[in-house]
Amino acid sequence: MSAIQPVLNESLGMEFVTNLLPHLINGLALGLLFALIALGFTLIVSVMEVINLAHGSLFALGAYLAMVIIDPSLQNAGPIGLWYLGLPHLLRYAIALIVAPALVAVVGFGLELCLRRTYGKKKEYGLLLTFGAALVLEEAIRLTWGPVEQFLSVPKEISGAFIANGLIYSTYRIYAAAFGIFAIVLVWLFLAKTPYGAIIKAGAHDSEMVRALGINLPRLQLLVFGLGAALAAIAGIILTPIWGLRPHVGVDAVIPAFLIIVLGGIGSFWGAVLGGLLVGMGVAITGAYASAWSLLSMYLLLILVLTFRARGLFGKKTALEA
Amino acid sequence: MLTTKGKAPIVSRQMLVFFAILLSYPLWADAAGLYEYLGIEIVIFIIYALGFNLLLGYTGLPSFGHGAYFGVGAYGYGLAQLYLDAGFIPGLLLAMLAGTVASGLVALFLSHRRGIYFALMTIAFGQVFWFLAIKLRGLTGGEDGLLNIFRPDIDFGLFQISLKSNFAFYYAVALIAVLVTLLLWRLVHSPFGMAIQAVRMNETRARFVGYQVWWIKWTVFTLSGAIAGLAGGLLNVAQESAFPDTMSLHASGLIVMMVLIGGGFVSFWGPVVGVIVYYLARDLLGSITEAWLLWYGLLFMAVMMFSPEGFAGGWGKLVAWVRRRKQGEVLMGGAQND
Amino acid sequence: MSTTTKQRSILNRALLAGTAIAGLAMGTSQTLAADPIVIGLTSDSSGQYANSGASDRRGMLMAIDEFNAKGGVLGRKIETVHIDTETTPATGSRVAERMISRDKVGYLIGAVSSGVANAISQVAQKHGVIYLNTNSSSPTESGANCHRVKFVWDGNGANFAKAAVKNTIASYGKNVIQVTNDYGWGHDTSAATKALIETYGGEVSDDILVPQGTRDFTAVLLKIQQAKPDIVAAAVGGDDQKALRSQVAELGMGQDYAWINNQQDWPDVYGLPKENLFGVFGTTWYYGLDLPGVDEFVAQYQEAYPDTKMRVPGNVFYNGYWATRSLLEAIEAAGTTNNHDVIKKLEQLRIPAEVRMQHDDAYMNPNTHQMQQTVYLATANTGSDDPDDLFTIVSHSSPEAVADTDADASCKLESFEDTPVNQP
Repeated sequence: MSAIQPVLNESLGMEFVTNLLPHLINGLALGLLFALIALGFTLIVSVMEVINLAHGSLFALGAYLAMVIIDPSLQNAGPIGLWYLGLPHLLRYAIALIVAPALVAVVGFGLELCLRRTYGKKKEYGLLLTFGAALVLEEAIRLTWGPVEQFLSVPKEISGAFIANGLIYSTYRIYAAAFGIFAIVLVWLFLAKTPYGAIIKAGAHDSEMVRALGINLPRLQLLVFGLGAALAAIAGIILTPIWGLRPHVGVDAVIPAFLIIVLGGIGSFWGAVLGGLLVGMGVAITGAYASAWSLLSMYLLLILVLTFRARGLFGKKTALEA
Repeated sequence: MLTTKGKAPIVSRQMLVFFAILLSYPLWADAAGLYEYLGIEIVIFIIYALGFNLLLGYTGLPSFGHGAYFGVGAYGYGLAQLYLDAGFIPGLLLAMLAGTVASGLVALFLSHRRGIYFALMTIAFGQVFWFLAIKLRGLTGGEDGLLNIFRPDIDFGLFQISLKSNFAFYYAVALIAVLVTLLLWRLVHSPFGMAIQAVRMNETRARFVGYQVWWIKWTVFTLSGAIAGLAGGLLNVAQESAFPDTMSLHASGLIVMMVLIGGGFVSFWGPVVGVIVYYLARDLLGSITEAWLLWYGLLFMAVMMFSPEGFAGGWGKLVAWVRRRKQGEVLMGGAQND
Repeated sequence: MSTTTKQRSILNRALLAGTAIAGLAMGTSQTLAADPIVIGLTSDSSGQYANSGASDRRGMLMAIDEFNAKGGVLGRKIETVHIDTETTPATGSRVAERMISRDKVGYLIGAVSSGVANAISQVAQKHGVIYLNTNSSSPTESGANCHRVKFVWDGNGANFAKAAVKNTIASYGKNVIQVTNDYGWGHDTSAATKALIETYGGEVSDDILVPQGTRDFTAVLLKIQQAKPDIVAAAVGGDDQKALRSQVAELGMGQDYAWINNQQDWPDVYGLPKENLFGVFGTTWYYGLDLPGVDEFVAQYQEAYPDTKMRVPGNVFYNGYWATRSLLEAIEAAGTTNNHDVIKKLEQLRIPAEVRMQHDDAYMNPNTHQMQQTVYLATANTGSDDPDDLFTIVSHSSPEAVADTDADASCKLESFEDTPVNQP
């Protein structure tokens, strides 16, 4: 008896290490990326109670702008252009990672100014305004960069592959997942540890109160929307080297983002993170064992969770339910 | 605000205008640069949108997955023709039944949900149906769709009417649209109509007053699913096929967009206006520019910003303004006479 | 040229939509010159195949411009109408109805997606309007879903599989894993490939189905690594394929297995790094073929489309061009626009190799309405610095060697009696 037991365990352990573990690791990485996609979306929903359907288009716009910043066509732009192109790829990539989201934040400001006209009216109006904005942004991208598949180049320092336990892993994906953790922690620190965060959180719970305290609510809303847009852009820059870059890539991002925040519970920061991880795991595991159903898994997960927990995993009551 | 009183005429003035336009369309379509087939799709979507607005406008429940029931109707009709050789009217009844069953089942999950969670559950279920339509290739033909469902004749026993020509089929669709309009008009002015509006205005209060809110939500969702199924069946007859993309999230979003841009929240006729605006914009802009969605999207944003009650709301405001002005003039005139 | 026809069609529309007087004025002006022939271009300009659709349309327009430059067809100018079919079958159906009843088009040309091609051809058959499926390569297009009015110009999944499978099994080994996009084209192509693999002594150890819309292939790639096959036969299309390609390239897995990618449309790969182009894949034409006439054809393309990002024509453009040109030639040969006569001419179509710039004569199969043509097997050209010169042609197979022999059995064309007469 006792002699057989370890052998059995060992073979099961081997089975686990070689078969299931890689898929779990993959699911974790994927989940962090999904959480990254949902980050800006959940911020805007929880503070402003606006479902921003343009999230995907801002995601795409961020990636396109980053592509232009990394590899601009500056050959004819004189010495400054040549000097810029002579900079290391990694540096240009880092610049893009800051400048492109900043530009997208400006677009976000514009969208928020449009949205103002719908505040205090039916929530559907705001939602549909962002749906219209999504159509407009996607068409604008198509007109500017064409329908052609584009390529967001990643510096060689963070691309390539490495072998672990006999399997090849993508270096970039490890960086991307790590960046996901970094962004999540940064946003959390901002929300939890800074006065801005405290105000934003207060705004999420009771906007009347914030106004009564003499805080400039319109400016706060502008800031939050810009920040949400910038986070969408960052997710776009990180994700499109994996997914590819085309005008309608945003649709691929907005639907999971949507599901994730509902799964986690609207208004809950850690709910969104957990939702992302669950969706990532679900997709990765079904991808391994029932691949044809991998995309359906996230919807089934959502139906399952919402059937038993009406407001998602960590959801609280919000005005969006009225 | 969309409010109806208990008493309403069986046929209103707007209704007569609508019926007149509906039934005369084939006579002037050509001269206006339109064509019969476009009319068929517009009228089918008017049926769909009117049923949808029962849910969105009157009950205040946003469904972003209604394409599912439309699609289920289309497939139901197609399968009824392929396997049962059902004929036109039984086929449509089966399409309605399919829409009813599908939406009735989903409504069991939904009728206790509110607001955003309601909306998101509709999306999730809509995606499941869409996914299944693509996945169950043996039954549905996969992403290519269910093809070659030829238009049958309407069999009245003594005589048959062929629906082969778009002209004949247009009138079949238009007659169904007339029936659906009359029926829905009665419904929203019935006690049930009062009840669904009570749910929209304040669900909690409606519950306290003694309404069985979940039952009302279930019924209205299922009813609009049945009408969506009917419309889907009709689109199948029009296109002689059923396609999965009528069930996609995008398609489901478009019907919401059409109803709102027309003013479904403020008028019974909002969905009608919205469907017509969408189809004409798509047909006319679409043949001029490839970027027609850019212009339509901008139009849509402008409507949401400046007249979120849609075209019907804008029209209502205009009428009210003109009326006020007239009254104002009368008053002012009176003042001067003093 | 295309802009003037576009403006004219807008003008027509404005006139039609306007007053009855304007309508009358146009009626009189039309009686002066022979009515133009109107062709409806049904290529996608949004959705998954927007990019291929644009290339397809450039091909059609170049052929039409050639004919208009020499006075049109049968003395009639050719005009075009284009409406986006959105890579969506329901839209394809509506666009076809609109073009036929509203714009009075005589012919319909263009498709990349088989769903759209199906939807259009059903409407076209009902009205007796000839429809050219330029670029959809699903075997069902000239099989179960064939129609008397429809002609298919691209090689299909079965053709490309035949070209690739035998060679690959002989050189790399018998153990094959299939990766199949879980929709019609994927399944059909995968089934055809599987039959061939077994014919040539190979063994399919697993078929991994991936849903349409998959963006992350890591789970699939892990599974392939765990199974260690000799060959991976992929039937993954559209955006999914682009994502798969970049993820395989990133892991450097392109060299570890012999990849068979059924077909590689030029617009899908143009401008991408060459590492993304792993494995072997089929194509009907390449601008680097060493055949007479190719250079002139490329020059003509560059002159016609000086501003296009794609500096050289690819297979999608080629198919669009040749489909359109062959139709117009068939009308001329028939001496009439009558659809039955033109269909009969197209059914007998035979084009010498040197004219079509391929290695073998191409001919229409009258039973399936699919163009039988040379199929090329290609791989990435890593030896060249020229960013346009992406492919190395590995081999070419004659139409007979790669013929889709199942199609004849599954295709039942409507009879001529059941096809309405139409003389545009």
